Amino acid sequence: MADQKHNWADDDEFDDPSALPPQQITSNPDGTKTIVTWRLNEDNKKVKTTRKIRTTIKKEYVDPRVAERREWAKFGNEKGHPAGPDLTTTSVGENIIFKPSTNWKATQKEESAEDQALREKLLQKKVACRICKGDHFTARCPFKDTLQPLDEAGAAAEADTGAGGAVDDSVDANGRYIAPHMRKGAGARAGDSMGGGKQERDDLATLRVTNVSEMAEEADLRAMFERYGRVTRVFLAKDRDTGRAKGFAFVSYQDRADAAKACEKMDGHGYGHLILRVEFAKRSQ
Amino acid sequence: MRPIILNGHERALTQIKFNRDGDLLFSTAKDHVVCAWFSANGERLGTYHGHQGALWTVDIDPTSTILATGAADNTIRLWEVRTGRLLKTWDFPTAVKRVEFNEDGNLLLAVTEQRMGYLGTVVAFNINSDVDGPQEDEPIFKITFDESKATVAAWSYLTKFIVTAHEDGSVATWDAKDGSFIQRVQAHEQDMLITDMQMAADRTYFITACRDKTAKVIDVNTLQVLKTYVTDTPLNTAAITPLKEFVVLGGGQAASEVTTTSQRQGKFEARFYHKIFEEEIGRVKGHFGPLNTIAVHPAGTGYASGGEDGYVRIHFFDKAYFDFKYEVERFQPQEVQTTA
Repeated sequence: MADQKHNWADDDEFDDPSALPPQQITSNPDGTKTIVTWRLNEDNKKVKTTRKIRTTIKKEYVDPRVAERREWAKFGNEKGHPAGPDLTTTSVGENIIFKPSTNWKATQKEESAEDQALREKLLQKKVACRICKGDHFTARCPFKDTLQPLDEAGAAAEADTGAGGAVDDSVDANGRYIAPHMRKGAGARAGDSMGGGKQERDDLATLRVTNVSEMAEEADLRAMFERYGRVTRVFLAKDRDTGRAKGFAFVSYQDRADAAKACEKMDGHGYGHLILRVEFAKRSQ
Repeated sequence: MRPIILNGHERALTQIKFNRDGDLLFSTAKDHVVCAWFSANGERLGTYHGHQGALWTVDIDPTSTILATGAADNTIRLWEVRTGRLLKTWDFPTAVKRVEFNEDGNLLLAVTEQRMGYLGTVVAFNINSDVDGPQEDEPIFKITFDESKATVAAWSYLTKFIVTAHEDGSVATWDAKDGSFIQRVQAHEQDMLITDMQMAADRTYFITACRDKTAKVIDVNTLQVLKTYVTDTPLNTAAITPLKEFVVLGGGQAASEVTTTSQRQGKFEARFYHKIFEEEIGRVKGHFGPLNTIAVHPAGTGYASGGEDGYVRIHFFDKAYFDFKYEVERFQPQEVQTTA
């Protein structure tokens, strides 16, 4: 903004060391273009932006009447708005998978069969009143106003005698609800669901394969590594634009022993025109 | 497929219509505005202002120059599509529930409501295709229904008949020249309201959607029921797809009962049936309320649905849709070799 107000006559761009380099466009051999642009951010620091772009030309033939209508000026509530969809009125929904099939009903039935199973399971469950153990909801209990809930009464009694060991630790001696993290022995449990147990197991039997040829395919890698044991996952890093392999891959085994064997055998193995380097994957931090 | 969601209305949609080339989509809702959209990207071309009541119906002439709308403010209005300019207003004693141009765009029919001592009618107007020219004030003829009012109506092929669908589940044909009665058939269950009627591309047969939870394909000449599609929910709309032999049905629970059920139980899905085999082949979810109106792209490449939730969703089909065929459809009859 400030630059635009400058008079061109006292423009000292050529001497200014903070001046931004011009935009650079280079064509890559794989048909993509790399555009490097510079700008200043809020802190007046130079920011380099590198974009890799693939341009594809898509030709579309349109009826001349349709093409003419596309040029119509907007009117009514849209009057004066620029061309292109307005985000306040137009949005794109979630992807819907719509595949017509003759056995559509059958596949739908399976789903409802699962529902049925769940419903049957729940049917077996009887409603039990917490006050009198009768087969009605606690709120409907005829003794609601005269009796205390059974287990609560028991807990209260135990607390009185100092026996400890609450039967139901979700309610305190006064019948108030206790949040899970405030209950007895909650210290050990707190946040235990956040542990990365699965992650650890994965990493133990995962090999990192480097120096992989650009032409590599996941299926080839899988075939090679499957010789040493059951492979649960093969991940080959690929370039988003060109679709070619980036030169490294991860192979996970079900068993760590298999992974160790594969690591030993495959390290130094020739694949394509390169020699693979295989090692155990290090945990990314 | 990723639907394009159009959020231009504040109230429930009542009708949506593609123009003949399929590049424009017009929508009316119970708010008082008509919206025009580009179907390809969901861009709104503009809005038409002037109606004082809920809009019930919209139609576009074949050349996409004149738009007709009918509303609960007891008027039919003609609009210039390109600019949103009001061309003509016809006043009626009751609300207008359906308008439709004939194939040539030189005639317009309208269904008016039965209310306040007035009987339901169908009227036909001559339409001057010149947007700057005058329009006639009086209809060519008027069909009055003493027994059961018509809910929807349409022109047949070559503007030969007017087909009306009625509150009591019957359909009838009338001469399109003078409005004289031809025949009447009880196509749906007795006293079940027919909610929608849409002609096939060639206008020789049409599909009706009914509160009796069925949709029927009916021949224009004989009013014989050719196909029946049975569903598990009251239907509000039905359309015939060109290109593939399917029909699309939309419905769901009555709007007044929607809040009492979950989205899943509400059956707010567009249902695809095979037109010939009468079997359901798939559903498309998305709306939060019952589907009030469905329009199919004239090229058969997509469809749009408008719901009680106030949204229009435009869908363009994936390859799987075009590839789908029944086993018998795949079968190519081989030439029978005869031995001499």
